[in-house]
This record gives sequence, C-alpha cells and structure tokens, in this order.
Amino acid sequence: MDASRIAFHGTLQQLLEKVKKGEMIPKLQASHAPPCKFWTAFQVLNGIRHMAPVIHGPKGCTYSVASSYKMRGCEYRGVPLEPTSCTAQNEADVVYGGEGKLLEAVKEADRRYHPELIVILSCCCSGITGDDVETIAQVAAKEVSAKVLAIRSEGFGGDFRSGYEDAFRVLMELMEPRKEVMKGTINIIGAREGPTYTEWVEDLDEIKRLVEAIGAKINGVLCGGCTLEQIRKAPSAELNASWCYDWGQKLGDLMEERFGVPYARTGQPYGLKATEEWTMGVAIPLGLEERAREVIRKETAAVAEELDTLRSYFQGKTALIEIAEFPGPIRALSLASMAEEFGAHPIIINLHPYTIKERMPSIEFLLKRGQNPEVILTQGLFSLGSFNSSTETQEEVEMIAAQYDNAIYLGSPLRQPGIPQLNMTTITGYPQYGYQGIRNIARLMRVGMEQAARPRSRLFRQVLYGE
Amino acid sequence: MAESRQALQTTGEKCHDPYLRCALYGAAQVALGVRGCCVLSHSPQGCYQLVGAAFGWQDADYTETLTLCTKLCEDEIVHGGEDVLARTILEAQELNVPILFVLTACGPEIVGDDVVAVCQDTSSRVNFRIVPILCAGFRGDQNQGTDIALEAILRQLVPEDGKKIPRSVLLIAPHANANPTWMGDLAWVKRVLAEMGCTVAATLTHDTALSDFQQVPLAEGCLVLSHDAGQKAADYLLQRYGIEQWCQGLPLPVGFTNTRRWLTELGQRLGAETVAERLISEGEKRVVEVCRRKGLEISAMHRTSAAIVADATVGIPLVRFITEDLEMIPRLICLRSGQAGATELLEHELVDLALNPKLIYNTDVYQSKTALAEVKPEMVLGSNIERHAVEDLGIPFVFRLVNPISRFRLVDRAYWGYEGMLNLIESIQNDWLDRYRSKERRYKARW
Repeated sequence: MDASRIAFHGTLQQLLEKVKKGEMIPKLQASHAPPCKFWTAFQVLNGIRHMAPVIHGPKGCTYSVASSYKMRGCEYRGVPLEPTSCTAQNEADVVYGGEGKLLEAVKEADRRYHPELIVILSCCCSGITGDDVETIAQVAAKEVSAKVLAIRSEGFGGDFRSGYEDAFRVLMELMEPRKEVMKGTINIIGAREGPTYTEWVEDLDEIKRLVEAIGAKINGVLCGGCTLEQIRKAPSAELNASWCYDWGQKLGDLMEERFGVPYARTGQPYGLKATEEWTMGVAIPLGLEERAREVIRKETAAVAEELDTLRSYFQGKTALIEIAEFPGPIRALSLASMAEEFGAHPIIINLHPYTIKERMPSIEFLLKRGQNPEVILTQGLFSLGSFNSSTETQEEVEMIAAQYDNAIYLGSPLRQPGIPQLNMTTITGYPQYGYQGIRNIARLMRVGMEQAARPRSRLFRQVLYGE
Repeated sequence: MAESRQALQTTGEKCHDPYLRCALYGAAQVALGVRGCCVLSHSPQGCYQLVGAAFGWQDADYTETLTLCTKLCEDEIVHGGEDVLARTILEAQELNVPILFVLTACGPEIVGDDVVAVCQDTSSRVNFRIVPILCAGFRGDQNQGTDIALEAILRQLVPEDGKKIPRSVLLIAPHANANPTWMGDLAWVKRVLAEMGCTVAATLTHDTALSDFQQVPLAEGCLVLSHDAGQKAADYLLQRYGIEQWCQGLPLPVGFTNTRRWLTELGQRLGAETVAERLISEGEKRVVEVCRRKGLEISAMHRTSAAIVADATVGIPLVRFITEDLEMIPRLICLRSGQAGATELLEHELVDLALNPKLIYNTDVYQSKTALAEVKPEMVLGSNIERHAVEDLGIPFVFRLVNPISRFRLVDRAYWGYEGMLNLIESIQNDWLDRYRSKERRYKARW
C-alpha cells in the first residue's frame, strides 16, 4: 500500500484522541460544506404539523430551505404544502433594524395561515444587527392565537449540529410537565421532517412496526411529522427512544434531566443483534419483555434464510465500509457492527475528523459499548475541490481493496474498487433497519457477490471521473 | 377594449413566502456561467448551498468548474473575515483556474469586510484573475443579483472599446428564465441568429469563455433574453459602448405571433428579411402539421379559464400564446417579478388582446394561492408549487411548465420558437392526460 496516500490508519479510539488533541485539523476544506445552523434548525421545526416559520431574513435563506425540505416533504413524505414565510429583509431593515416588521410579520402569519405554532428563526442579517427575536416572540405571543417561539439560528452561529440541538432545546418550551405517565407509550426522538438524506421514512416505518408488534404505542415522532399536541404531551410518555442515537441523544438527555423521562440508549438497529437490542431497549423499561422476546423469535425465524446468506457471505471477509459521507458516519459505524456480528472484519474508510468532532458524544457512547473498529483515512478526503477529492479517493479505495484477500466493499456506487460491493445508498423503498433491513441487506449482498465480476460502465466512469 | 384592471403592484405585506432566492444566488448563476471558473462564496456555509443550486441551474460541470466557501462562523463575524478570505484565495492556487469570482453574503457585508481590498491585495500572489461581486442577500432578489453580477463583470472584465463586428450580437441573461431547461431557448436563439448570418459575440452568461468578454464592446447589438433581469446591462452597454438593444419591448418568442414579431425584427436588423420569412413560414407550417398528424387536444383548451403563475420571462409571452393559439382565457396572472419594462409590456399585451385578468406582480406563494382560490381557474400554468398549493381548491389541472417542476429533464427543451410551441403543447397535454389516469383500481385483475 502506498503509505503516502494514507492520512491515518488506526482505531476509532485513536482517531478520536487525535481529534481531541487537535492533531488532525477537524475542519472541512473550503470545497465541502454541510448546511448551516439555520438550515438544520429549520429541518427540525419543519417536522411539526401546522407550524408556520417566520424567517427573519432575506428571501434567499427562505426559498432555499422551502425548496430543499418543504417541497421534498410534499413529494416524498406526502405532507401537504404549508408556508415558509420570511420578513424579506432588505438594506433598510439592515440599517434601521427590523423588529417592528418582524412583529407585523408574525401577526400576518397568524392571520393568513392559522397555524398552531409560529417559530421565528433569525438569520445572519438579523443576528448581526441584533434584532431581539426572543422578545418579539414574547410580545407577539400575547397578540396572536398561535403559540410563538423564537430560535437564534443565524447561519454563522454554529455548525450544522448546533441547529438541530438548539431547535430541540427550544421546542422543550412547548412541553408540559410530566403528569400521569402514558403507560406503554414512547416518543421516537431526534427525527427531522427535512427530510434529510440520512433519514428515510422506510426505516422509521420499520421502527414503528416493531414498537407496535411488542404492544407499545408511539405518542409522536419528534419532529418527524408530529403535532403540537404530541410535543406538549411528550414528557408524559413512559420512555424516549431514538431512530438514531446520534440525533436523539441531545433531546433524550435534556428531557431526562428536565422531566425525568427515561431514555433508551441504543444504537441503530442494523443486523440481528442491534435490532434485538433496540427492541429490548424499549420493551424492558415498559415491562413488555416477554412479548418482545416472542416477537424477536418469530421475526428471527422469518429471516433465517437471509441471516444464513449474510453469515455465509460475511464470514472471514474484510468489510470495507465507506458511507461516512453518505448516508452518514453513524450508519457506517452501525454497519461495521453488523459486519462483525456476521463474521467479517470491518474497516471504516474516510470517517472525516470533522464528523468525529461534531459527533463527539455519540462516538464516545459507541466506544463505551465496545465499538472500536479499524479506520483508514486517505489523502483524497482532504483534497480541495469535490471532484479532485472524489477522483483521488476512488484510486485510494481501489488501492486499499487490493491489499486484502477476500474483501467486500459496502458503500456508495460512486466507487467501484474491483471487489464485490454492496450499494448502501438505496434506502428509499428498501429500509436497512430491523428485520426488513436484514432482508434488504441480504438481497444487496447476494446481488453484490453474484455480480461482482461485472465491469464499471463506461458511462458511469466517465460521468464520475471524467476519464 | 379591456376594462380597468386590478393590479397588485405591492401589497404592503410583511410576511412573504417567496418564489425567488436572493441576490447571492442570482450573482452565482451569472458567475457560474463562465466556463472553467471558480466561485468563492465569502459566507457561512448555508449560503454555499445557494451556490450549489446556481451551479445546477447553469448546467456547470464539476470536472471543470469549482466552488469554494469561507464558511464564516462567529469568530469571523466578530473579528472580521478578511484573513480567512485571503487564506482561501491563496489556497485556490492549487486548483489551476483562470478566474475566481468572490461573492459576498449578508454577514461579511454587514460587518464591513473589505472584500475588494482583499482581492486586490491577494491578486499579485495568485496566477488567476479575481473578480469581487458585492451581492449580499439583502441587496435584493435573484434577479437583482443577476443585474449586480452582470454590471460587476462588464465593468471589470470588458475592455475599453474596439472595432465593431458587423452583424454581431450579445445575448444577455439567458439563465433568468424559469423554463427548467432554458438552455434549449438559448440554443434556439443561437440557431436562428446563425441562419441569419449573425455572430454571437458573447453570451452573458452560459458556458462563456473568459476570452469572450473581449468581444463584448465589438458587438453591434444585444438581445435581453429575459423579462426578469438583464435590462440594466443592456442600458449600460448602450451608454458605454453604443450597443443597441434589439427586440426591445417585444415579448419573448413564445407562440406564433410573438415568434413572428421577434424573428421579423431580427431579420430587419440583420438584413435577413428573407431568411426570417422562411423561418416563420416553415416553422408555422411544421407546428400545424405536427399537431394535425399527432393530435392536438383542442377540447382540453378551448375557452378554458386559465391562470399563469410564473416568472415574467415565461409568463408574459404565454399570455398571447395561450390566448391566440390555444384559445384559453387568462383570468389570473401572477408574476414572480415586476420590473418596470416588463409590467408595461404585459399591460400593453392585455390591452391588445382585450383581456382583463387579475394581475399580481412580485407575487408570493400565499398571494398566488389566495388569488387562485378567488379566481378558480380551470387550469393553472405554473410549477410544482401550485400543484401542491391548489390541492384543496378544486382546480383540476396544473400544468408544470416553470421551475420548480420536480421532473428532471436531461434533454433541453426550448419554449421559444416553433419547436418550443410543440414542447409547451406537449407538456400541457401530458399533464392534462395525467388527470385521467386513475390512482385506484375498482377491482383486481385475475391474472
């Protein structure tokens, strides 16, 4: 292996320590950027039905999130089109301040849209000029029918993760104190009705199916299409569980601290063991252990053939996993656990130090659970220019694949490293969570192994790499 | 004659659900129309997503066009972002690009980063040209951003003057057009100009070579290919270089009459009247023959009450096309913009066609939906937004013609000219027929 192309080779724990010491600059290069805090705060809030956002900013921020999330929600999730409004800040608002205009906008939004909830989101302009969005929200709340909240979500105010976390934190203002506990009822937390690329309806459906099968009920998926009423009642649920530990963790911790709602700390249900763990993580606190064991027994029996497929194909292999950029780093780690469960040695490729920094609590949680896979970072990951980065990484992944006998690649079809590979990016229609996920991953595995000898299409290669 | 119309120029609204993005996006569209360039967004990372959207709108190719972002955070807003901008410009050296456009977002402009000075200071240390464009989102919408960027580029990249090239023309703001594959319109314009013996000196901008900017002062005329943006650039070119604007005051070439007028003027300007006449007669004949042979759903369109919810570039020419050629009756027109010249043009068209629709300029989604609920047209010529917005209004047909339409199309389809007429009719007919596709089955098949 050409060592000059390898930027890091070690364990997840070692990578975390390097990031903590600042040895690997945990910053994405100028040619790569996730959404800003404003976008991600909007993603969370957009998952509340009949919520009218009043974005205190120019039109660009507003149309962009509406186009990216609202419209996709209408198309993919089948939700109705609801408004995404703003104060359309202009130069005069920047010079003279826009608090008065904002107050009028909130009143107008209440009259026009009859929402249950109005959320004021600040943008860069209003954040810098210092418009007091929280006070305006308090004033407006006395004059309109809807509940009014404000969130300081100016894009420069934090990285993408802070938008999610701050939005969940602000939403806790809507929650009523924990009253009579709703027995057998849970909240699924950490969801966003973005919908984002990492969060598929089909995975959530599988979670809901399992919860119902063990005899529990879901109060609401916060905030994946939930109602204001479900948010209000959320602290009275018996338990919080997350569709993804990473995104649920903050809200789970906060609700536990403020309302005493227990939080099932489990990873993503990839493979048999993690699915059992997720299911029992919900069942045991609810006293549904026996029924859950029966569900697990039946479901496991129903996927016996697929489990055999997975064991036979994974056993003794090196599983190169490269989905840290898409569908996401936590899924990469979950997939590594699954590969190990079925007898493979997992190696995660290109888990960017930036993502380690942003997801530190979740990474530490996974390490505590004993997940400490081997990680390789290549130089291409740090190249300036997304095309350069992708081209170099393809060559490097090919180089890594050639070092291992019997390796398989679990990743994106953007690469074809010349070994059997699974396309892990086709989740729409084919969930990866739970027992349905086992079926689908086994299907992917069969296709990947049986068709491994097929060459990369010239069309795909030239589109991707310009050769 | 038309009666007096109700036209909403401005509603005094405070709460706006926009159809348009901001100036940064419009400016990015212009910059990304320069082949092989690099665009640096001096902004927080959210604004970079707008640059990404502009990249797609210009059909840029990631193997040759690059985008960067300074990803400003609280530190740069408090202490200024000039250092990180300078660092990123120097870092861009390794990309080997001929030109770097630096676009500024709201944050750095409000805190007073001297972007022009940073660009000047770093220019001697890099091997590419740097063009700063001050286009913060609060400066206006995407159309205004297009005008800002065109002005910046004309002032910074175009030489003093030169000898005119006979029968040459500049094409301005082709991308300020909500036809999702507007490149088809541009290609049609280039084709007819070529047939008339005209040279396109430069396109401002789409796939424009850096060297093309040298040709700008040499053009005899210019065509503004948008009713939403580009007029300011045309005015500047007239004043600075004496370049005349052609086809000014005419709706863009959608439908028989608009296309005939447009081609006729071009023919006169270029001394190619015979060619123009031939293009018109052959084109009109083809449209008629194709519709006769392949089928025209006349019953779908005759005297149906219609609404147009679109940008001015598509919306204004559609009025005459659907009225004269498709026998529809426009009852509502909601335009996403409202430039002075465009509103005058539309109102002139309405008088000429004896139409009296409800008019809204600079519309937002709420105004459009409210007006659609009030007017209750049978058909809406609009976008995917209207398709969702009218779900509970009992309006049976929404023809998705303008962006966003959620139907990604690999092949560019013009709306202009004669093939453009056929493309529009085909889109309308497809959506019309789609209404007759049952979503449910009343009983199961036996096989």
